[in-house]
Amino acid sequence: MDIRIDVVDNGGQWTHREWRMLRDLGIDSEIIPNTTAAAEITADGLVLSGGAPRISSDIPKLGLTDKYLDEVQIPVLAICVGHQYMAIHFGGEAGPARVPEYGKAEIIITEPDDLFKGLPERFTIWVSHNDEVTRLPEGFINLAYSRDCAVQAMKHEERPLYGVQFHPEVEHTEYHYEIFTNFIEAVTGSNP
Amino acid sequence: MKDVAGFVNQSIEKLMKDIEGTAIIACSGGVDSTTAAALVNTAIGERLVTVFVDTGYLRKGESERVQELLKGMGLNLHFVDASDEFYKALRGVTDPERKRKIIGGMFIKVFEREAEKVDADTLIQGTIAPDWIESGGQLRDVIKSHHNVGGLPEEMKMRLVEPLRDLYKDEVRKVARHLGLEIAERQPFPGPGLAVRVLGEATRERTTVLREACAIVEEEIEQAAERGDCEIPWQYFAVLLPVKSVGVRGDVRSYGETIVVRAVGSLDGMTASASPIPHPVLERIGIRITNTTPEVVRVVYDVTHKPPGTIEWE
Repeated sequence: MDIRIDVVDNGGQWTHREWRMLRDLGIDSEIIPNTTAAAEITADGLVLSGGAPRISSDIPKLGLTDKYLDEVQIPVLAICVGHQYMAIHFGGEAGPARVPEYGKAEIIITEPDDLFKGLPERFTIWVSHNDEVTRLPEGFINLAYSRDCAVQAMKHEERPLYGVQFHPEVEHTEYHYEIFTNFIEAVTGSNP
Repeated sequence: MKDVAGFVNQSIEKLMKDIEGTAIIACSGGVDSTTAAALVNTAIGERLVTVFVDTGYLRKGESERVQELLKGMGLNLHFVDASDEFYKALRGVTDPERKRKIIGGMFIKVFEREAEKVDADTLIQGTIAPDWIESGGQLRDVIKSHHNVGGLPEEMKMRLVEPLRDLYKDEVRKVARHLGLEIAERQPFPGPGLAVRVLGEATRERTTVLREACAIVEEEIEQAAERGDCEIPWQYFAVLLPVKSVGVRGDVRSYGETIVVRAVGSLDGMTASASPIPHPVLERIGIRITNTTPEVVRVVYDVTHKPPGTIEWE
């Protein structure tokens, strides 16, 4: 079946890369502003981009993201600040990182069956964040960590909601296509 | 991009419909603008005037090489030597964002002047995705104002057409290969040219120093890659810092400039990793630059990835 996954723009440097990644994988996609009304979301899945807004002070800049998590029951891949927002929204915490990470880092996968299916336990990721998830929300599983960041990836226990602190959309993250393909499968799986 | 031929055909069709009168294209001889020129040339032929500007911030021999290249492609070339104007506009300017904006503004000034001469109402630019992404807008922070975005006046006299706007460099290269362009594999070169590699004031004299250093870096790394000592990086160049340090030459104290060697691997310029250039190659670059450029006392290597660094220093 033909699915569409839209990219919600939170002002990230790599928002357009997320769109490109989906397009490269043959998925129909559009970049939409984060002020798009939830009722107007017609995609089968959403990617929430990262961006310059700081999680502790700039939440209004993330627009209607809360509505996309509550009112639209479709799979979501939330990246960087989107991931931090998702954690707070479901009762976790996020704030300034003890050690911010920029550029190259190594991820260690602890839950290999879902978003990281078929990937090695450790590989190179590309990161760029000042804030991080400091407490996992209840009902979420931690999927991966790095030396300086405890929650590199998480997933809701029941719904297909994923958050990643690192950037699977950039060329320098190893297995970038595979991670997106796994998310696309989650979208396809929930739209039988 | 999967269907390169499809993209090329659709672009040409769209350009034929979109452009009615005469158009000028701002072309630097780089991958993006030359590919755009080839596409538009196929679409509207003689109605396209290609403007190539020598800003004074081009690399060694580049002005001649590019003119030859563009003529060889059968383009209707208008060459403008605006180097005096550019040097003058940047006199006393050290802030990187001001530099970029002034250069962008100067480009538009030159293009509008040339457009008037040929009565063109459309300006074509080889803008690609990272240019407008990094130039900021709405929620997006300004990382650096690209010359083809940040210098545009609020009210343009000409209509702007940017056929490669949604593509990244690797995709533009595919289009260029499809069109059989020899520039397809050229390394990226910033629109503001050497002006953003001369940190501090980009005077004619300091630019001359950097131009020589840049040529040595390019030559040594290309030769090393040919020998199989390293892979050819995505981009490799020299930067002149506004930092002086002490040296000793022939038992005499010297006090002079610092050159940074920068080489990175990337696919699209949106992320990059510092390249592992073999030490003997770096050593030879250091020796050649300090021995042939009396102004330079010290040569250092930049090991910063992007992020947190950007590829260019300004």
